[in-house]
Amino acid sequence: MKALTEADMTAYLQARFPDWQDVRIEGLHRLPLGASRETYRFDLSYRDGAGARSDRLILRRDPPVSNVDSDRNHEYSSYRAIHGHGIPVPRMILLEEDPGPMGGAISIAEDMRGYHNSEYQLQEPVWQDKLPHIAEQMWGTMGRLAAVPVEKLDLEFMTPATPESTAMQELDFWEATLDKNDVGPEPVTRAAIRWLRRNPPAPAQKLAMVHGDFRAGNFLYDDEGNLVAVLDWEMAHRGDPLEDLAWSLARVFSFGKDDRRSGIAPRADAIRIWEAASGLTADPEALHWWELLNCVKGQGIWNSCAHAWTTTSGEREVIHAYAAWWLRNAQDRAILELMGHL
Amino acid sequence: MKPSIPVAASDLAARLRAEIVPELTGFRANNVAMGSAMIDMIAEEFDRAAARLFEENAAVRALLQCGGVAMAAPAKPDLRVSALEAENDRLRAALIDLQAALEDRDDDEARALDADIWRELACSVERRRVASANF
Repeated sequence: MKALTEADMTAYLQARFPDWQDVRIEGLHRLPLGASRETYRFDLSYRDGAGARSDRLILRRDPPVSNVDSDRNHEYSSYRAIHGHGIPVPRMILLEEDPGPMGGAISIAEDMRGYHNSEYQLQEPVWQDKLPHIAEQMWGTMGRLAAVPVEKLDLEFMTPATPESTAMQELDFWEATLDKNDVGPEPVTRAAIRWLRRNPPAPAQKLAMVHGDFRAGNFLYDDEGNLVAVLDWEMAHRGDPLEDLAWSLARVFSFGKDDRRSGIAPRADAIRIWEAASGLTADPEALHWWELLNCVKGQGIWNSCAHAWTTTSGEREVIHAYAAWWLRNAQDRAILELMGHL
Repeated sequence: MKPSIPVAASDLAARLRAEIVPELTGFRANNVAMGSAMIDMIAEEFDRAAARLFEENAAVRALLQCGGVAMAAPAKPDLRVSALEAENDRLRAALIDLQAALEDRDDDEARALDADIWRELACSVERRRVASANF
């Protein structure tokens, strides 16, 4: 894929904003974030009619091959849709869907520099006393997202869904993703899919904007463990808010390698916090269905990683092979546990 | 090979982590760290791959036979991992079809064979377990 350079960035911004003068890009470098998109950080300075300006910015670029079927517009519009509704997110600044100028569609957002977003860091001894507070922040924010009235959000760019349709809609999507990115027979995952179809959950209590990847590592936190922004909205969709809760409880995200979910809190604590913040009830049977659905979703993503690595004709992303090797078996173990066969 | 591949690979992975990763930052450091973890997984998989595939292929073939699905073993044994994996894919695809058919039945024989299949699937997941994985 075309390398992103400071010269290309400068030329692009000068062409896009002709009234800007003395445009300077400094410190452009790629961040070690995510498997589905390229993320860069840079400093921008320029002069316009109001005088000299400078910004710290984040650029996300769509690669030619990804493990997640989503595009720049979807994530950009998702951030904009939830912005101002009580869920902290970075401010979106620019969307360029034409892949020509920068070698792929890009979005630019404010860079909330100086905060943490490592799920592994939270396992270090210095953070242990703060984990109960971080749990309140994480699942409290997730619960508040679930409580946002979906009809007040501009989600026209998303696939329609109803409380009755969302479960099978998600199952259909992820089964199709597995079919499309087939890397070999998956008896455990296919058995889970058949069980999910035979045992559909009750309709969602309400329709919500589901983040789709709300877990430790996808939010920024300060030195005290306060959540300052939720990131990575590329899989956001209309759906059952239990989906986000279930995803955060996934065994493969138990970074402490113990019973703490997301490496932060016991399952019961996470559910309690989410219920209090959302005003909803996490019905055990429905939550179990969504946890198993999310195993299928996870396997769909890890298989897509393997498929992307196998089929790409250009420069491969190490994280695609790594994620597939590291997670596919663990995802099967999680399915076995949920289905009572471990 | 001497030194053995698992030992050499594990040593290489440890050196990358200890000596190279600290010299790098950001995206490159992350890539090398993941690369070293992958070499550890290669070390883990190298020694067991043929044995686990051989064992699993025999177990799945026996389950298929119990279910009335004849899947003959290759006439000429080929113990290369690529050949065993191809055979494994063929057998596991048939196992999916057999288990789906059993789930449509409501008799003791089907339930017993389905339980046997689940036991083998649990064994197959255990055989492939990655030591460094979270779960």
